[in-house]
Amino acid sequence: MIVFLARRLVFMLLTMLAVSIILFAMLEVNVESIAVRVLGAYSTDTQREIWLEANGYLRPIYVRYIEWLGNFLVGDFGESTRFNTRVADILWPRLGNTGLLALFTFGIMIPISLTLGVFAGMREGSRTDRSITFLSVITTSVPEFASAVLLSFIFVFWLGILPGTSGFTDGFSLREMILPVMVLIIYDFGYVARMTRASMAEVMQSPYIRTAVLKGLPYRRVVMRHALRNALIAPFTVIVLQINWLLSGVIVVEYFFAYKGFGALLLEAALNNDIDLIQACAMIAVIVAVGTQTIADIGYTYLNPRIRFT
Amino acid sequence: MDKKELASVHVALPNLVEQLEKGRTTRRDFLRTSTLLGLSATAAYGIAGKITGEHFVAPARAQGTPGGTVRISMNVMELSDPSLADWSQKSNVYRAVNEPLAKIGADNITRPYLAERWEANDDLTAWTFHLRENATWSNGDAFIADDVVANIEKWLDEAHGSSNYSRFSSLESADAIDDHTVRFNLSSPDLAVPESLGDYPALIVHRNFWNNGGSFLDNPGTGPFQMSDYTVAERARLNRRTDAPWWGGEVMLDEIDIIDHGDDPSAYLAALASGQVDLLYEISADQVAAVRGMEDLELYETVTGQTGVARFHVTSPPFDDPRVRRAIRACIDHDVLLELAFQNLGTPGEDHHVAPIHPEYAELPRPQQDYDLARSLLAEAGYADGLDIEINCVAQPTWEPNTCQVIAEMLRPAGINLNVNILPGGTYWDRWTDWPFGFTSWTHRPLGVQVLNLAYRTGVPWNETNYSNPEFDALLDQANATLDLEARRAITEQLEQIIQNDSIIIQPYWRAIHTASNRNINGFELQPAREFDFPVWSMSSS
Repeated sequence: MIVFLARRLVFMLLTMLAVSIILFAMLEVNVESIAVRVLGAYSTDTQREIWLEANGYLRPIYVRYIEWLGNFLVGDFGESTRFNTRVADILWPRLGNTGLLALFTFGIMIPISLTLGVFAGMREGSRTDRSITFLSVITTSVPEFASAVLLSFIFVFWLGILPGTSGFTDGFSLREMILPVMVLIIYDFGYVARMTRASMAEVMQSPYIRTAVLKGLPYRRVVMRHALRNALIAPFTVIVLQINWLLSGVIVVEYFFAYKGFGALLLEAALNNDIDLIQACAMIAVIVAVGTQTIADIGYTYLNPRIRFT
Repeated sequence: MDKKELASVHVALPNLVEQLEKGRTTRRDFLRTSTLLGLSATAAYGIAGKITGEHFVAPARAQGTPGGTVRISMNVMELSDPSLADWSQKSNVYRAVNEPLAKIGADNITRPYLAERWEANDDLTAWTFHLRENATWSNGDAFIADDVVANIEKWLDEAHGSSNYSRFSSLESADAIDDHTVRFNLSSPDLAVPESLGDYPALIVHRNFWNNGGSFLDNPGTGPFQMSDYTVAERARLNRRTDAPWWGGEVMLDEIDIIDHGDDPSAYLAALASGQVDLLYEISADQVAAVRGMEDLELYETVTGQTGVARFHVTSPPFDDPRVRRAIRACIDHDVLLELAFQNLGTPGEDHHVAPIHPEYAELPRPQQDYDLARSLLAEAGYADGLDIEINCVAQPTWEPNTCQVIAEMLRPAGINLNVNILPGGTYWDRWTDWPFGFTSWTHRPLGVQVLNLAYRTGVPWNETNYSNPEFDALLDQANATLDLEARRAITEQLEQIIQNDSIIIQPYWRAIHTASNRNINGFELQPAREFDFPVWSMSSS
């Protein structure tokens, strides 16, 4: 097990290192564009040259990369040209906001999707199963931007009972959280529910469940004691991987509701060529993606007794 | 005022009054030109009222109940030096604190502001500005001529990088005559000095601004507000100054609260509809119909000189061949373009960048769509088998890529395959003067010659077409020095004709601009360049 963990950790670090090299090379090969971004389109060639020299951009790219990596590891992500402040000062609050959004979404979505998935999978082909599957397919098929427009029309413009944006300008507001969370839940709960349903249906077909039923155990006890634990192994992996989606895959929702989160920050950084900010956001997204993948792998191994290492 | 008194203000004023009396100029043009020449707005309106029967309407002053906060949805951008402002959103924040010498109203007329009045010499090469004696800086210093001189000197320093450098290209120096009088010395006549002083980057900062770090946030202002809270891309809050009375009188608002809702227009409108803000910086043309259907909201529309141009870099192939440029222009139906790309909310363009609302506008025969001409010009230029080209434009606002898409469809029947390359704003603007074919938005300016000076004169920084025509430059010099409106219109007609003939731009349409508010805000008028006039606003309780 220790060897397995060490291997996963080394693989994770190598992946992040490789991505950081690619990212840095893509963004910093053309130093001229960085100077244009900082000094503006009307700056002269001489001004740009002086700025590049003063900020160390004329040094070899590998020297700059090593310096950047060293700074990144100690939490110094550089300066944002868009926000005119340290990247760390803007990044962590935004990450916190997205974490809050993810917390609310997970807190509501996971119980709903697991319950619906288990109910559907318990009696495969039943009316309940068909209804839940239909609902799940429909909601998952509607993209976030469409459900955001629809919900906004209903609750903001028509009924007038919810705020249209979620910027928390006057501090945290539960009412402002409702629409973005609702859109994310509608989009994602069907996916998790269907994965749970498939896993549950598979478990319910397994010989040991049939044996338990045939030997006369109450159905409720068969489900709760024998089926559920095994049926939740596959959804566990899916749920952990949703963390990654909730971090950087919610750009549309954050943009639509003016939610000041990590996804919107990444978009803003990209639209404004804010190099240090793009690098920091991308690296954080990579760390979360690789980290959640590793956690999912380790968790799956722990939960599934059929996978064991000697 | 009799003719002698008028002539003492400026020698051209008696003639201008005569033109109005004989119906050779409109009331609006009379007001504009006479105030430019130093006649007070009150006197100008008085004379015009006597002649035309339309009496003086006092400029809006703050009315209503003192107190209250106005909440505005607008991008909060990085703030540094007002003279480096490149977006009017920035200048709207700056303007609450730092003020201009002249202000352009919602009626497109320039009025004295920090300068109480001004005069020009007969040939318009020296302008004398008399400053308000009761204006003070928020640090207690008096507002004096040295402040203005320090600003002008900075603007004229090319290395500083202000767009005022080209805006005041004829300005050589500014001299403080006494504490409250400044003289501008010009190398060539320029009619538009007051108009340029009303443009959004021409705000006056304290004389020690650059010695004190050069940051807006750490320096005083003469305006009625001061910054209290500011985070880029999130929020800016300004509170009414309490240290001393504002020179302009009573200000009703206690606070201005600017909230950044990002770049999605639907977010702005949702914020207004749900009462999170009182006013939007803008709404898109697509949203006008929706706002019309919402009873609780007020819709504002203003006809402007705002536009976008699909401009050719005339030294980059294949656009260095005038036949190619003419062929592309010949494919355009401006009326259809306006209808499809901008919901008919404006006026069709004529490919010369002088708007019908500009006083010196001269009407030319409208450009007509002519595919036969386009095909023959292309064949002549060696593209009989078709031409593949690309236009670069920004993704937002959507009217810009939409217009490019419609242009692409219009070019197709002539065998021109136009690829529309939609770029993030930052990427486009980093190279906006370099694209071989690009679509650039241009803001409103009160006079036609102002835009021509900025964009089409040889060698100026904003000449994105790389156009260079000595004949055009010479005519532009003449227009800059011609006060008589009829004479200036005749010169402008030639300038328009040259731009059309040389086919350096496709100018699809002039945009009407729109915004919306709730019904709690009083005194707001939609100015053609979206400049906010906070001191005259007030809030009703909802």
